[in-house]
Amino acid sequence: MSKIMTVDILSSIKGAQASEAVSKLFDVIKNAHPTNNNAVNNANNNAVSLNDLREDVVIESSAIEKQIIKENFPNEKNGFLVVSKVIEE
Amino acid sequence: MNSQIKHIHQQLVDKQITCTALVQARLDLLKQNTHNTVNSLLDNSALELAAKVDAKIANDETIGLLEGIPFGIKDVYMVQGTYATASSDLLKNYKSAYTATSIQKLLDAGAIPLVKENCDSFGHGSSSENTIFGAVKNAINPNLVGGGSSGGSAVNVAKDYTVFSIGGDTGGSVRQPAGYNNVYGLKPTYGRISRFGLMAYASSTDCVGPLAKSIEDIRIVLNTMSGKDAKDQTTYASAEINEASILNSEGIKTVGYFKNFIESDAINAQVKSDFLASIEKIKAKGIEVKALDFFESNTLVSTYYTLAMAETASNLSRLDGTNYGDRVESGNLKETYSVTRSEKFSKETKRRIVGGNQVLSQGFSDEIYLKGLALRDQISENFENDFNEVDIILSPVTPSTPPKIGDSLKDPHAMYLSDAYTVGFSLGQLPTLTIPKGTATGLQISAAKNNDELVLKFANFLKDTI
Repeated sequence: MSKIMTVDILSSIKGAQASEAVSKLFDVIKNAHPTNNNAVNNANNNAVSLNDLREDVVIESSAIEKQIIKENFPNEKNGFLVVSKVIEE
Repeated sequence: MNSQIKHIHQQLVDKQITCTALVQARLDLLKQNTHNTVNSLLDNSALELAAKVDAKIANDETIGLLEGIPFGIKDVYMVQGTYATASSDLLKNYKSAYTATSIQKLLDAGAIPLVKENCDSFGHGSSSENTIFGAVKNAINPNLVGGGSSGGSAVNVAKDYTVFSIGGDTGGSVRQPAGYNNVYGLKPTYGRISRFGLMAYASSTDCVGPLAKSIEDIRIVLNTMSGKDAKDQTTYASAEINEASILNSEGIKTVGYFKNFIESDAINAQVKSDFLASIEKIKAKGIEVKALDFFESNTLVSTYYTLAMAETASNLSRLDGTNYGDRVESGNLKETYSVTRSEKFSKETKRRIVGGNQVLSQGFSDEIYLKGLALRDQISENFENDFNEVDIILSPVTPSTPPKIGDSLKDPHAMYLSDAYTVGFSLGQLPTLTIPKGTATGLQISAAKNNDELVLKFANFLKDTI
């Protein structure tokens, strides 16, 4: 994984470039001196406890939900949902 | 102002008005309004629901407090069968397949949704100008911005088009437009209200938040939406806040404010003097006021945006036109992804996605992302220490009054900096309420995590003091 990827590839946005407005924000962080550089996110620990995990069950979607999901699909032909042409590199 | 919810409820019960007439009148106002607050009207379903409420009242059945109360929903929430556009070109034809937990709870209580409300696309903005539906115009002065990102929601409440609205607050998106339009807006403690069905912007600070014209209405709506939800595992169980428990300021002995917010060069002179005058009024009531040290605005804003951009780049990576959204077909799959995203995301959304991917990319992540997380830890620790010393932290909502429409788009960095007073409380995941008092854009009341009750309590005190 040593391949260098530019931000336009990483973002899947054609011609994307770093912006000056955002770089100014990053410069502030680069020049900051946190007292602790090993963030462990102690203060905002929102992880759920192992004893409190939700049931691992499959919930069937309702008929209306399935219908809307199909309606939202961008392309349909002869009753099939059409995906874009897939390439292999 | 007193509770509009209770007032309207009583009018319905006493048969002074019908729910159908009430809903129709508000729909008419929304339809005619020139503030660009509406993305889509839910008129058919609203009138059907209103007729059911009227039938119950005609049969002398008891109705709940929220039954028949018309409300608005920021267009980033799922409500089954309605459009959920996030004010974006990419999702302009997208229909919600399911309903957000927070909204479902309001529907279960009988409240009637009227409108999906205009906002900054995917919550990306502080002015509600980053939208395909036209810039939201301020309720008080239509030449100024409505604030953002929940601008449409704040203006609808301010203009009485909705009794209350549900916004979303990631870095100030409920509190700032509330301040700009002189209404109440609450960002509850992170996790108090389920985010299931709220389009993710920055998951670690995204909060569901009500806007209304009274503290009592905020309390009623907050209680209805709160609670643990298996579909959002960051949620926690919280006790209901009673009306009686927030009526006096007992237990609030010390209030703090951040010195550097007030001494900053960026603060408008009037906002500064109004804020200090408010502090004097609080002192005069026998409450001790402490000036506290805090992080520089630049550090707060940069930390927030660095982390929020990283999270939004990740969250929005699912929007590629494959399963939903407007797909722009191109030569092959990868080309289709990038052409779709290039053409269908707004300039500001692209700026944040690119920034986020920079933050997360190899070589950058240690220098920026991990450092940003470390700073966030420090900010949270700072809050924890502060709340050992004070019960409440009071601050202005914004350094300045609302900008003119068009100005924020010209200078994104200045727009980011205008969030200086709201983003810190988001990083700390604290309950924070804007009240339309004290300065031209209101005051923010914050308390320690899970202490939303104390925030409302102090708001009641402040409402009568200032």
